[in-house]
Amino acid sequence: MYIKYLLLTLLSALYACNGVDEGNVEEEFQHTGKGVFILNEGNYNSGNSTLSYYSPESKTVENGIFLRANDRKLGDTGQSMTLHNGTLYIAMENSGIVWGIDAETFRVKGQLTASQTSHMINPRFVHIVNREKAYISDLYAPYITVFNPTTFQSIGSIHTGQPSANGYSSTENMVQHGHRVFTNCWSYSNRILAIDTRTDEICDSLTLGSWQPKSMVVDARGKLWVLTDGGYYTGDESFGDNIPHLYRIDANTLEIEQEQALDADDANVQIATNPDKTVLYIVNNDIYRMQITDEHLPVRPFICAPTDSKGNRHKLYAIGVHPQNGEIYVADAVDYSQSGTVYRYSADGKPIDQFRTGINPNGFAFK
Amino acid sequence: MKKWCLLLLGLLPVTAWAQETTSLRVVQVTAQRRLTDTGLQKSSLDSTVLHDHIASSLADILTRHSTLFIKSYGRATESTAEFRGTSPSHTQVTWNGMRINSPMLGTVDFSTIPSYFIDQATLYHGASSMHLTGGGLGGAVELNSLVPNMPGHSLQYVQGIGSYNTYDQFLQFSHTGPKWSSNTRLVYSTSKNDFSYINHDKKVDVRDEQGNIVHSYHPKERNQSGYFTDIHALQDIFYNDGAGNRMGLSVWYAHHKRGLPFLSVDYKDDTDFTNEQGQNTLRSVLNWTHTKSQWKSTVRGGYAYQDIAYDYHTTRQGIKNDITQSQSHTHNGYVQAEADYLPHEKWMLNAKAEAYYNKVRSHEKSPFQQHENYNKGRMEYHGSLQARWRPVSPLSLAAIVREEIYGKKWIPVMPALFADCILYAPWKLVAKASIARNYRYPSMNDLYFKPGGNPDLEPEKGFTYDAGLEWDIRNKAFQLKGSFSAFDSYIKDWILWTPNTKGYWQPSNVKKVHNYGTEIMLEAVTKISKHTRASLTANYAFTPSINQGKPSNDNDASYGKQLCYVPKHSANISAWLEWKTWALQYKWIHYSERFTTTSNESDYITGHLKPYFMSDMAIEKAFHWKRLDASVKAVVNNLLDTDYVTVLSRPMAGRNFEIFIQLRPLWKQKRQAF
Repeated sequence: MYIKYLLLTLLSALYACNGVDEGNVEEEFQHTGKGVFILNEGNYNSGNSTLSYYSPESKTVENGIFLRANDRKLGDTGQSMTLHNGTLYIAMENSGIVWGIDAETFRVKGQLTASQTSHMINPRFVHIVNREKAYISDLYAPYITVFNPTTFQSIGSIHTGQPSANGYSSTENMVQHGHRVFTNCWSYSNRILAIDTRTDEICDSLTLGSWQPKSMVVDARGKLWVLTDGGYYTGDESFGDNIPHLYRIDANTLEIEQEQALDADDANVQIATNPDKTVLYIVNNDIYRMQITDEHLPVRPFICAPTDSKGNRHKLYAIGVHPQNGEIYVADAVDYSQSGTVYRYSADGKPIDQFRTGINPNGFAFK
Repeated sequence: MKKWCLLLLGLLPVTAWAQETTSLRVVQVTAQRRLTDTGLQKSSLDSTVLHDHIASSLADILTRHSTLFIKSYGRATESTAEFRGTSPSHTQVTWNGMRINSPMLGTVDFSTIPSYFIDQATLYHGASSMHLTGGGLGGAVELNSLVPNMPGHSLQYVQGIGSYNTYDQFLQFSHTGPKWSSNTRLVYSTSKNDFSYINHDKKVDVRDEQGNIVHSYHPKERNQSGYFTDIHALQDIFYNDGAGNRMGLSVWYAHHKRGLPFLSVDYKDDTDFTNEQGQNTLRSVLNWTHTKSQWKSTVRGGYAYQDIAYDYHTTRQGIKNDITQSQSHTHNGYVQAEADYLPHEKWMLNAKAEAYYNKVRSHEKSPFQQHENYNKGRMEYHGSLQARWRPVSPLSLAAIVREEIYGKKWIPVMPALFADCILYAPWKLVAKASIARNYRYPSMNDLYFKPGGNPDLEPEKGFTYDAGLEWDIRNKAFQLKGSFSAFDSYIKDWILWTPNTKGYWQPSNVKKVHNYGTEIMLEAVTKISKHTRASLTANYAFTPSINQGKPSNDNDASYGKQLCYVPKHSANISAWLEWKTWALQYKWIHYSERFTTTSNESDYITGHLKPYFMSDMAIEKAFHWKRLDASVKAVVNNLLDTDYVTVLSRPMAGRNFEIFIQLRPLWKQKRQAF
């Protein structure tokens, strides 16, 4: 009998000590003013991507808002965000899901997941064509998934048609000019594809000299600016030359008008435009600024990457430019395994604020 | 002459005849403290612990019976071992004398080692690893096959049937003669391993016709793609001519086919995807030992082969999409010569030279890499000199000097000093201390993997010292043995793989880490009555593992913080109660909070893993018939259905069950003691 009581007491005590996850309460948010979403990519295969929200007026930041508002994790490897008509679309690459959340309450409005009913595998970017049609690019699938951004129903797919290099058929950024949406093929590729939004078919393509086009914008003159990361070069086996290139391409004819090599360095490269799309901002260690009419990237950076008192340069991981006031947001990934830091600059490059976000901040969406 | 031979016997790795076993289980009593153990901080796992049940891998055993931290996310998934807050590559592992760390990765996956295949495991903590090999900045694990202790023929069959369609089969046939012994072991394990769990990382919204959420809940999901098939075959042959010559041959083949479980935040369906790793491993070691007068010489040779294929693809609407495919083939040849010499009863000298040739061919297909990754061969030479001296009876001193060469690079000389002193002989109370400088050279992936491999990497440099006490108090019905040690170590140029801005990872010598703490091991055995025995083992480790590397910049908050996934506190307790033919077993494990960010942000939503307690329980009934010994054992894992994770987004199984039926036919040999 004593043994029985002893055993029961022991079991009760141990059970009381157990760290059972009780779940989180869904927080109520109502951010109606202007704000900036920051997507924190997290670490691959860790499921620790998060979403942050920054209020420029109050200079306050809320981290982990997706989980706090929805009591579920955002997922693994947050790739990109697109804000449209009050809905923030978030492509979670390695989770195989695109979330749609309310931009004010941060509550989930809908989601599209990888399943047999779509070709989607690892979603990379979302491009809204109109209220009833949106595209999702993919790291692995040779398809652009077409879905209804209001109902989150898959409504079709576009075969990218390219016999992808080495079996990969990635598509990345998507930018629109007229009826054409351009997408860059990053993984093992040097191709730019054009999609006719009226027919949802590939209507044109272009092959670049530099490998792995990574980031694109369309300027005020209808020019497509493409930034490559140059692939990689490792000696006897290589896939590119490690040298990023900047291209200016006529969006109507897909003719390359301008090409220049950038400094080769261990840097993430990204491109952005100012509100009227007349100025380009390029991250390549530092931040460079050039007019769209310039023939060359300036030698001196517009904003130097912050350097601490010991001479350590910050690793700039992402750039975003506010589409109304032109303020520049730059992310520092620090050591890729802790909260990153975001720097906010005025349009003329003066520091305004800095704040901590989540792991590997890689994109901005402005409300 | 007899005295010399007895001393030499104390040196032998196969120690069966050097021990005198008392009536108390798991207690080994040595007549005198062995000179070979001078200053060593080591702990041993004997066959009682190792052969607990057939479903256990060595990772499971180390989790429950040692101070090592095992990083794992479930059965049949990669499980690595960390000593004293170091990394898995800082744990060196030998099997019958041959180092089995992967030349590609530098680590050992302990989930691929069935505990039934190991007869003796010895853990060398910190500086003590220098006794065995270099590069064990955290420690080293020595695994050995032993001569079967049952004379004549012996047959054993174990059938396990468990939750999630898990089936474990074990067959052993051994023969032990006056000169020749043979031991054949086979393991075949399969499981769907599709346990259910409440997924707190997901939530399902139930909406009305207007699209409003009317209800939400965390879904009950199953572990996706967690299936496995493991096949092992081990053949040991021993020969002892009784005149100083002993030979041994061990050949071990293993085949693994394992699904790689999906993350809890993965919304893909595993029926659409293949995410699988196949692995074939062959290890073989031949050794010859000759003992004569004051000399003992050993020659060993070995060969190991391993191929690993990882395939992640999906087939959608008839179209196959490759995601990642990688293959590697590793050939490993090994020769070793070792000599022990006892010039005087107070002196013991040892010299060892060994050479490894590692050949790796790696092929990778991923979004970042294609074609042959690398195809490289590398020679590695290790040499060591060891001297042990007992100047006066209670005091022993030892010194080790090691030198290692990898490729054409020489590692600086690695020295180690050890001392121990018997403080109180009746309790076998011994004070011990050691100090060592150690180096670990980069693995072949560190150097050559494309993209990212860094041929300019320097060896990691370790400096460690420790001190402690060991005791063994016993009387007729009770024994209490244990040890306490405190350690302090520094590792510089720690090789760390970090993400590259282009999306792939690169290694560099970036970290400096300060590890310190304590380890406590206790073992108590008591005979309560004629038919009742009880025993208890407990292990506790306090392992701060602090990053002192140069900060990336002034935003870097990782300086002075605990390394990711290393718990500061870990503990386990195992208790046995035996009454006649019944045995009751209870095991308990605890890990403290572990951080997932280098900055240890506990307020960060996914920045830490909660501490957890885990309990397992087993009950066993033995049956003894004229021609058959049998037993039935029922095991409950995760007794309290604890909801926990050991790695972010990797769900673990809740309460689960397995039943084992063991059959052991009896021929003419004596019945083995229960």
